[in-house]
Amino acid sequence: MSSIDLDIRVIPPSEKHPAIFRTFDALSAGEAFTLINDHDPFPLRRQFEATRAGKFKWTYVEEGPAVWRVLIAKNEA
Amino acid sequence: MKLSLSTAAAPGVALDTLDMACRARGIDGLEIVIEAGDDLEALTARARASGVRFVALRADHFEDPDALARASSELAVPLSIPLGALSGSSLPDVARVFADKGGTLLIGFGTDFDQVVALTGALRNAGNPPSVGLAWELRPSSDNLEASGAVLLAARELLRLVRLYGGGPEQRDQDGRGVGPLFVDLAISGYSGPIVMTPSRSEGLPRWTEWLSSRKSAGCGAGHPAGQHEVDVRNVEPRDRLGTILGAFRALPRGATLQITLDHDPSCMYYALEDSEPAGTFAFRKIGDGPKVWHAEVTKT
Repeated sequence: MSSIDLDIRVIPPSEKHPAIFRTFDALSAGEAFTLINDHDPFPLRRQFEATRAGKFKWTYVEEGPAVWRVLIAKNEA
Repeated sequence: MKLSLSTAAAPGVALDTLDMACRARGIDGLEIVIEAGDDLEALTARARASGVRFVALRADHFEDPDALARASSELAVPLSIPLGALSGSSLPDVARVFADKGGTLLIGFGTDFDQVVALTGALRNAGNPPSVGLAWELRPSSDNLEASGAVLLAARELLRLVRLYGGGPEQRDQDGRGVGPLFVDLAISGYSGPIVMTPSRSEGLPRWTEWLSSRKSAGCGAGHPAGQHEVDVRNVEPRDRLGTILGAFRALPRGATLQITLDHDPSCMYYALEDSEPAGTFAFRKIGDGPKVWHAEVTKT
C-alpha cells in the first residue's frame, strides 16, 4: 500500500481542518496518514480527542523547527 | 508529497540564497525554470556545483530536445514541458531521446478531463514509455476544480509532478476554490511526488519576495503589543496565529474580553487555550460560523 501524505501548508486556512478530518474519515481501520504542517498541530490533537476519542493514534515523526510531521492512524474497530 | 518552490518565485536570486530561504520554511527543494537563451550546460554545471536540492526542471519551449534531456539526466530530475510546446513532435521519438540520454520528460497538462484522456491515450499508444510522465498544471484561481477528481483519476498512474500556481503567500487568495478537497484526493490517491509552488501572476512577485525573506530562521515571529482587545489574525501566517492570540490574551486585565477575527473555524483556538492556560481562567465564545470570516471572544475570568 502506498503511503498517504497530506501537506496542509498549501491549503487555504478555512479548508485545512476540514481537509484533515476528511482524510482521516476516509481511512479504513488500521490505516494511517502523515500530516505535514509548518507548526505544531497540537490544538488539532485536542480537537481529535474531543470529536474522535479512542479512534485515532497520534505519533510525532518530526517536530520542527520548520516542519512538523504527525502520523495519524485510525484504530482497529 | 515534497513541497517545492519554482525559481519563478524569485527571479534573479542565486540558487543557494533561495535554497536557504526554502530550508527556513521547510520547503524540500527547487524547480529550476529554464529561460529562453539560457546556456543549458552552464546552468546544469552551476546547479550541480551549488549542492542545492532540486526536484525538477521546467522549460516552456522544446527547441533542443537533446540538450534538455541531457540536463534532466545530469541533474537526475525530470524536465517538464507544456503539452502545447510539444505539438509537431512525435511522442515515440521524444520518448526515445529522453530514454537514450537517461532523462525523464514530464508533459504538462491542465485541469481538463478531455485533454488528459487524450494525452494518456497517446502515451498508451506509444507503449507507455518509462521516460515520459505527466505534470499537472494546477491553477486554482482560474481552473474549475469540480472536475479535478476525474482528472486525477485519469492521470494518476503517470502523474509525477503537480505545479500549483499558488500556495505560499497566495494560499488565502484561493479560499473556497476547491484546493482543500483536491489535496485530500491527491493524498488518498497515494501521490507522493513534488508540489511545486509557482506565482500565479508576475504582478504578485513582491509578495513572494516578502514571504520568502520574512523567515530567515525558524521560530515564532509574532510580537504583540499589550493592551489590545482586538486581534485580526487573517493576515498573520497560520504558524504565528496562536502565538498572536495567546500573547494578546495574556496581556488582558481580568474581566476584559478579547475579540478575535479569523478566516477559519476558531474551535482549534479554544482547544489551544484549554491546553496552555490554567483551567477556569478564560471563557470562550464562538460567534457566527463562516464561511469566510469567523469571530470569537475570549474573556479573562
